[in-house]
Amino acid sequence: MIVAAAQAEVVERSTPMSGATELVVHHPPSASAVQPGQFFQLAVGAPHTILRRPYSAAWADPISGRLGFIFNVVGAGSAWLANLPEGHDVDLLGPLGRGFELDGRDPAIVVAGGLGVAVFPGVVRALVARGRRVTVLLGARSVAQLMRSDRFAGAEVKVATDDGSAGHHGSVVDLLLDQVGGLDIFGCGPTPMLQALMRAARRLDIPLSSIQVALETPMGCGIGTCLGCAAPGRAGGYLLTCQDGPCLRADRIDWDHMTDAFHG
Amino acid sequence: MRFMADQLDIGVGLGHGLRLRGPVMVASGTFGYGFDAPLVDRSALGAIVTKGTTPRPRAGNAPTRIAETPSGMLNAIGLQNPGVEHVAREYAPIWASWEVPVIVNVAGDAIQDYVEVARRLDGVAGVAGLELNISCPNVVNGLQFGLDPRLAAELTMAVRRATELPLIVKLTPNVTDIVAVGRAVEAAGADAVSAINTYVGMAIDVRRRRPMLSRGSGGVSGPAIKPMALQAVWQLAAELSIPVIGIGGITTPSDALEFLLAGAVAVQLGTVNYLRPESTREVLDGIAQYMHQHRFNNLRALPIRGVRAMAHA
Ligand SMILES: Cc1cc2nc3c(=O)[nH]c(=O)nc-3n(C[C@H](O)[C@H](O)[C@H](O)COP(=O)(O)OP(=O)(O)OC[C@H]3O[C@@H](n4cnc5c(N)ncnc54)[C@H](O)[C@@H]3O)c2cc1C
Ligand SMILES: Cc1cc2nc3c(=O)[nH]c(=O)nc-3n(C[C@H](O)[C@H](O)[C@H](O)COP(=O)(O)O)c2cc1C
Ligand code: FES
Repeated sequence: MIVAAAQAEVVERSTPMSGATELVVHHPPSASAVQPGQFFQLAVGAPHTILRRPYSAAWADPISGRLGFIFNVVGAGSAWLANLPEGHDVDLLGPLGRGFELDGRDPAIVVAGGLGVAVFPGVVRALVARGRRVTVLLGARSVAQLMRSDRFAGAEVKVATDDGSAGHHGSVVDLLLDQVGGLDIFGCGPTPMLQALMRAARRLDIPLSSIQVALETPMGCGIGTCLGCAAPGRAGGYLLTCQDGPCLRADRIDWDHMTDAFHG
Repeated sequence: MRFMADQLDIGVGLGHGLRLRGPVMVASGTFGYGFDAPLVDRSALGAIVTKGTTPRPRAGNAPTRIAETPSGMLNAIGLQNPGVEHVAREYAPIWASWEVPVIVNVAGDAIQDYVEVARRLDGVAGVAGLELNISCPNVVNGLQFGLDPRLAAELTMAVRRATELPLIVKLTPNVTDIVAVGRAVEAAGADAVSAINTYVGMAIDVRRRRPMLSRGSGGVSGPAIKPMALQAVWQLAAELSIPVIGIGGITTPSDALEFLLAGAVAVQLGTVNYLRPESTREVLDGIAQYMHQHRFNNLRALPIRGVRAMAHA
C-alpha cells in the first residue's frame, strides 16, 4: 500500500561508512507501512533532473516514526540528496514494490555487496525479531566502506574486502562456501556480484528458489506505468522491478541476460 | 480548489460523440491501463489514454529502456503490452464501470495490425475511443506511417472503415512538415489529432562508452520538448478544422494553458505522471482557477485568435 507522496523532514544526516550518506527522515505513516526490502521514490531538486530516485528504506521504526536511507553519491540526484540539510523536507513516494519474505525455518544468510548493504539493516532486524539464526556476509572494496557490524545486532557478521584490508581477501560470495545445510539466502549488490552468487549457488547445489534478491534497475515511475524497469524473466519476457520486485526469488530471473546498467 | 473545476464548464468535445468532462488527459504509456494509479484522482481526468496496444502480446525491448536527459527522459520501451484480446476481455469490462472515458492507444507494424485492433475493440463496452500511434520511434517500422502523409492517410482510412469508435491520430514531430500529415489524416476521416509523440534522441554513457539505451536511440519526453511541441500544436491548430490535443512536456497549469491558448482543445500529461502523480488534478484546478480569475466561462471563450494575432503584430 502506498501511503503517500509526502514531505518528510530530514532529522539526521550522517556518514555510516566512507563515501556513503545516511538520511534519517521523520514520517510516521511511511515508517509504519514500509516492509523490509521495499523502496521509496525520492524527488530530487538538482538542476535539470526530473525523475525521482529509487532508494530502499534501510530501516524503519514505527515507534519513533523515523526511517533511514543509505546511499552513495553517483550522480546529480544522489549528490543533491547527500547535501540536504537537517530540517529540510524530502518528498517521498512510497512505500513501493515488494519486500522480502522473512518467514522460514532455515538459517538466514544475508549476502551484501557494496552499497547493496543499504537495504539490510531493517531486514536483519526483522529476521532476528522472528527468532531466526542470521549470518550477514558483507563485501566492500576496502575496510572503510564496510558497514559497522553493530548495525546487525543479533546476527553473526563476516566480511570480505577486495583489497584484503579486512576479513577475507576477495569476493563476499566466497564466504558462502563456509555455509552448510539448508539455507535461506538474501542477496543485494551489483549485478556481477549477484551473478557470481548464482554461479556459486549452482556449484553448491543451492536451489535458486531459496535465494531472494533485491534488484536494482533504472526506474522511471516506480509504480508500474512506464515499463522502464524491465528485468529479463526466466520464464521469458520481462519482469518489472518495481512491481514483481525489487525483492524476488532468484529463479525468476534470467541471469545470463541480466544487464548491469550501472557498474562494470 | 476542487470546487472551481467542478463549477465551471470545462468540458470538451473531440468529435464523433466523444465528450470529456475536462481538458486534462493522461498520455499513452504513462498511466498503464489505468489500474496502477495510486494517488490519482480519476475524477479529475478528462480521459485515460492507455499504453500502446498491438494485436498480439509483445514483450518489449531488452533493458536498458529508459534514461534521464536534461529536463527530460529517453525511453525505448518497445510497446510491451498484453495484446488486444487481453485488453478487450480483462480490462474493458472494468473500464465500463468507470466514469472516465478510456481511449485505447493502438500500435502495429502494418496497416493490418491497426485494423485488427480497431475491429476487435469496435463496440466493446468500456472503450471510448482509439488513438492511433503512428509515431512510435521505438519499434521497427513504428514511425513509418507518421512520416509520410499518404501512408498516414491510408492507415487512417483503413481503421476508419473498421470501427465506429472516435478516432484520434497521434502525430510524430520527427518530420519536416507536421501539418501535411495532419491535413492528410483529417481528410482521411480522423476525428482529432494529438500532437506530439516523443522526439527521437539518444544519450551515451561516456564512462562505459556505450549508448545509455540498449537500442541506441529512443524517444525524448518531458519539459525539454515543450517549446517544440507547443509550436507543432500552434501550426496544426491554425491549419486543421478537427480538434488538436496538445502533448509534450506539460507539468504545470501554465504549461497546459499555453497549449490551450495555442489552439489545443485539450491536453495530455505524460512524463509528469511519473514524478507527481497528483499533477493532473493540479493542472485541472489551475486551469479552472485561471478561467475563473479571467472570467472565461468555458474553454471556447479562451481568446485563441487574439493570441495568434499577436504573433503578426
Ligand atoms: C529499488 C531500488 C533501490 C535502490 N536502493 C538504493 C539504496 O538503498 N542505496 C543506494 O545507494 N542506491 C540505491 N539504488 C540506486 C539508486 O537509485 C541510484 O544510485 C540513483 O538513482 C542514482 O541517481 P543519481 O542522480 O545520483 O545518478 P544518475 O545521474 O542518475 O546516474 C549517475 C551514475 O549512477 C549510475 N546509476 C544510475 N542509477 C543507478 C542505480 N539504480 N544503481 C546504481 N547506479 C546507478 C548511472 O549509471 C550513472 O553512471 C536503488 C535502486 C533501485 C532501483
Ligand atoms: C515511457 C514512455 C512510454 C510511452 N509509450 C507510448 C505509447 O505506447 N504510445 C504512444 O502513443 N505514446 C507513448 N509515449 C509518448 C507519450 O504519450 C507522450 O506523447 C510523450 O511522452 C510526450 O509527452 P510528455 O512530455 O508529457 O511526456 C510514451 C512516453 C513515455 C515517456
Ligand atoms: S519503474 Fe516504471 S514500471 Fe517500474
